Amino acid sequence: MVKIKDKIEEELQAIFSADVPWITIVWDDPVNLMTYVTYVLMELFGYNKEKAHELMMKVHTEGKAVVSSGSREEMEHDVARLHEYGLWATLQRGDQAI
Amino acid sequence: MKEIEHGFFRHGANAYLANFSEAEREVLTNLVEQIIELLAERVDHHNDDPLAAMVGITMHDTPPDDEVLLRLLPNAYADQVDASEFRRYTESTLRQKKQAHAMAMRMHLKSAVDGIVEVDHDGANAWLGAMNDVRLALGVRLKVEENTHQDLELLAPDDPMRGVYAVYSWLGWLQESLISALMDESE
Repeated sequence: MVKIKDKIEEELQAIFSADVPWITIVWDDPVNLMTYVTYVLMELFGYNKEKAHELMMKVHTEGKAVVSSGSREEMEHDVARLHEYGLWATLQRGDQAI
Repeated sequence: MKEIEHGFFRHGANAYLANFSEAEREVLTNLVEQIIELLAERVDHHNDDPLAAMVGITMHDTPPDDEVLLRLLPNAYADQVDASEFRRYTESTLRQKKQAHAMAMRMHLKSAVDGIVEVDHDGANAWLGAMNDVRLALGVRLKVEENTHQDLELLAPDDPMRGVYAVYSWLGWLQESLISALMDESE
């Protein structure tokens, strides 16, 4: 019973706390070229070459990287644009384990 | 004019050129046409709501069965319920955007003068997206996940996948040449 109460509280908190950020994750992929991933991150997010390269290297070496954060709507928009350019991306709540 | 082994190169403030042979243009056109066809809407015989269809909402909320399509139209959420909901509202738009990239590439190939393709920044982005979709599709067929590049390099001369791998590699090289021409600008 306590568990359900906690669960409900958690859900309610999620509904009312608009400030819990969501995140967009790009996953490693054996097809996409490293330079292409860097270029797409620069184009879509306006990141400079250093930042885009750093994120790409994180994807490449660690298998994934958080590339943006914001509201759920903003992250859905980011994921849709990444999918348009063939990057493998998902979104989730920022406080959840990746 | 520079030789074909240069791939794309920058020409002035907002133009990127590449010189293709007729055979190369045929191969590229054929590949993008396959992508255009592949991305056509799922045919559904049970009643779609016409009003919903007009604003890009479909009744499709399951991931595509085809492995290639699933790679082109991946799930946006790890959670299946959220992934289905998102797909229902966005898959149709994603198909159209990808088709638009492929159609722009086909149009540029068709309007090439003396084999020279000229694109601006937006055109270059369409080419990159479309070439990438072709590479993703070929990558699934070549099982790039399991096979290393070395395995693929060593395919027997009569293996039909050898030709597919040659096209896949060539496209990667062409994509790379366009990216370096674009990056040159953003230095």
